[in-house]
Amino acid sequence: MVVPNGVEVKEAGRVPGAIRASGLTYRYAGALPALNGIDLEIAVGEVVAVVGPARSGKSTLLRVLAGLVPPTSGTVELPWRRTSAGRLMVGFAGEVEPHFESMTGRQNAIFFARAAGLRHADAAASVEEHITQLGLTEDADRPVSQYSFETRRRLLLVEALAHRPALTVLDNPFIGLDQAARSALIHILRLQSAKRGTVVVASHELSLIPELADRILFIHEGRIVTGGRVAELLGSIGQSTRIEIAFERRPQRLDAQFRVGTRVVSDGDPLVLETTRGATAVGEACAALIAVGAVIKSVTVRESDLAEVFRRVTGAELEA
Amino acid sequence: MTSAVWSLQWRLALTRKRIFILNVVVPLTLVMLIATGAVPPRAAAGVYVVLFSAFAVFGSSLPLRWDGQRGMSARVVRGGVGPASYLLQRAAAGAALDTLQLTPSLVLATAAAGATPAATAGTLLALAGTVWVSGLFGTLIAAASRSITETALFSAVSVPLVAHMSGVFRTPAPGSPSALLESASPFRALHEALLQMTVRGPSTGGVALLIWAILLPGLVWVLGAPLHGALGRVTGGGLEGA
Repeated sequence: MVVPNGVEVKEAGRVPGAIRASGLTYRYAGALPALNGIDLEIAVGEVVAVVGPARSGKSTLLRVLAGLVPPTSGTVELPWRRTSAGRLMVGFAGEVEPHFESMTGRQNAIFFARAAGLRHADAAASVEEHITQLGLTEDADRPVSQYSFETRRRLLLVEALAHRPALTVLDNPFIGLDQAARSALIHILRLQSAKRGTVVVASHELSLIPELADRILFIHEGRIVTGGRVAELLGSIGQSTRIEIAFERRPQRLDAQFRVGTRVVSDGDPLVLETTRGATAVGEACAALIAVGAVIKSVTVRESDLAEVFRRVTGAELEA
Repeated sequence: MTSAVWSLQWRLALTRKRIFILNVVVPLTLVMLIATGAVPPRAAAGVYVVLFSAFAVFGSSLPLRWDGQRGMSARVVRGGVGPASYLLQRAAAGAALDTLQLTPSLVLATAAAGATPAATAGTLLALAGTVWVSGLFGTLIAAASRSITETALFSAVSVPLVAHMSGVFRTPAPGSPSALLESASPFRALHEALLQMTVRGPSTGGVALLIWAILLPGLVWVLGAPLHGALGRVTGGGLEGA
């Protein structure tokens, strides 16, 4: 595939292949780079979640991987964006997209499925299936101008998925979905993966990622800072709980106050403790500190979850 | 190549019934006022040419610019339709719809002039060709402008200018540069066809119209990507949110 700016985006062959990116940068005019030297490889059939705080470069990375915008520099190998018969093999849903407001949701979805290369009958059948799965049945035949934000989000997903792409790229797809629709979307994406479809998702919904993704890529300030399977990432920080205690007044002594299994990680402000004793250690530690004269301002408990992995790698908060 | 955009334009037009009816009634009312009034045939033919071509140019340029600015054009192309195909399907559907909506006006004008069915059919053919070319002018205008108001301005300026070059407002001296320009102008065929019904005259504009009707879509086909890119947010979806 030829794209402007002299950046090479290669077709990987007839069969959908891996996405490979090397040295990817993307720079907005007059701004710091949104992507700053990203190397990655995503295998066929893999479901990858891109996770990072707001303005970390997630959406830009997704658009580059979907072939919608060329990188400022670097190389991307995309799998088979279009078949020889002209069918589009990439499904993309951004956070907000325009629609034909006077037409119904179903008509919009059928149009985009046809635009992607499906015959009308196939488009209608696939749209109907996805409308049902994503809980859009009641609203499907109303004009989009009457849709709420949540309903528009569901429609976007139907439009991204109905042409059954080989590569599905979704930006924050769980926004506006209830639990049933979230489960349905995870089911659809896992099914695509089972059929060797590749899925790349950016999401803030960390609780859903272990169920959805094979692999997580943490992105921060335009760089991939760490990545791996959920179990590997959680394993990298152990099963400990971190307790951060800020003081109004610090105690004179900090050592030898805590029970076995709890230790001081950082003697700064806040005081950072690590414990294998779970939440029960919080009360114990606070009591011990108060006993030596501390006045506690705040206590933050950080379980060993994905947000904590990100925080330990970058020192920044995921939900900042 | 999918014909999804062609179908879409028809569906959109038929969904907006009120606008569809207005598009028939408004030119029909104007034509009725002229056809039933004491307007000299030459002046009437000129007004009809400007009316019909303006109808097609504005009907093409403004919605295209609007869809470009709100990211809809970019989304459709991102969804799998080639940029040139998108522009040409829009123009083709627009020309077919314009012809359909202007046919009652044209039939009224020809009936008032006492034209034969054959002359009416010929004029209808010239109308179809003219609105096709005008719609493609509208595409170029939408791509050349940077806002809706600029699109309206360029459309408003270009229609009388091309009509003037087509000899609608004056008869150039034979052999003059103006006469040469007129012979190559796209609106001349419709003007001549309308005049033929009443004052008789030469009928040589068909070739020029045919050439325009072939060359302009070719130009749009070749320049499809940059023309589409000039319509607005080619990346769509707002990269600024990344």
